[in-house]
Amino acid sequence: MRKVGSMDEVYAALQAVKNKASAYCTNFFPVPNKLLARIEAGQLLLDASPDAVVFLNPDCDFWRIHFCAANPAALRRKFESLATIKTDPVVIEIIQPENQTDDLLPVIKAIGFRPYARLCRLARAGSAQPAEKSVDAGQAVYAAAADAREIHELIDDSFDRYAEQIPQKADIEIALKNRQILIVKNNQTIAGLLYFETTGASSAIRYWLVSQKFRSLSYGSVLMRNYLATHSAIRRFTLWVMADNEGALQKYRHYGYTNDGLIDQVLVNENVNHEIGN
Amino acid sequence: MKSVIEILKEIRPEFDFSTSEDFIVDGMLDSFDVVTLVATLDKNYRISIAGTDIVPENFRNLKTITELLVKSGAQV
Repeated sequence: MRKVGSMDEVYAALQAVKNKASAYCTNFFPVPNKLLARIEAGQLLLDASPDAVVFLNPDCDFWRIHFCAANPAALRRKFESLATIKTDPVVIEIIQPENQTDDLLPVIKAIGFRPYARLCRLARAGSAQPAEKSVDAGQAVYAAAADAREIHELIDDSFDRYAEQIPQKADIEIALKNRQILIVKNNQTIAGLLYFETTGASSAIRYWLVSQKFRSLSYGSVLMRNYLATHSAIRRFTLWVMADNEGALQKYRHYGYTNDGLIDQVLVNENVNHEIGN
Repeated sequence: MKSVIEILKEIRPEFDFSTSEDFIVDGMLDSFDVVTLVATLDKNYRISIAGTDIVPENFRNLKTITELLVKSGAQV
């Protein structure tokens, strides 16, 4: 295993595997600027064989693994040779269409991973209207740099670190600079937030939450209405949500989101001694 | 054999790919879409797009995708 030093190393590793692919399989869908940030921070490791490559990056107190393999059998051989899987807590996600025949999950389960969570992607068509200049914002405002620590704590307390990818403090600072976190405050405390990422005509909600002690005060609704009103030029809205979180699903459906058929299966190895809700 | 624009339309039916010069910047294709697109182009044109070519620059618009297909040996 070695630390990745450049994007070229990543692309070369992908090409080597792809050249041998009979049934190419992957869970690696890199966003170039985010991948580059990980490489520059020294947070991406690579372990390559001729027909499979795995990428490891640290997240909280465990590893996330992404892979590309020539076929499922090559992937299994690669996993069986990886010491980290035997010694450390590891999370693997498989993103695929819901109706896709599943040949990867059995491979990953066979090396000791168990299903941990299932997320589904929801999407909502936008109206492609020009953004409103003046919106009834209620109490929602864009968060400031001084809110970073409180935002991180709220997200860490409210979401599952294995399944929902808690942002690092550096991620939050970038989002704040880009005006991608809306908040509502009750006195001086952040009561709720909506954290999103917008690229061109698409916008994805990363986190939408109202702190436990401020529930039932319509803060969530204020945040969502503000978000949608200020993004009226967007053509496509998306988000990932726990597939069994019926409360959240109902709220998103209320705002026009529907299942778009993509599923994220989160699997953990036996070194993760945690269940959702604990 | 499907055309590139037909394939794109299948992946993201809500967008008009004929009007954009940059699918990535315009938010019409995300990273998952690009990987799906590569797999579909490979199958449709019976080619294997090189790993080193799976970069945003090659998926910006119809022209760059067509150039990538030609480079990869497809008969477009």
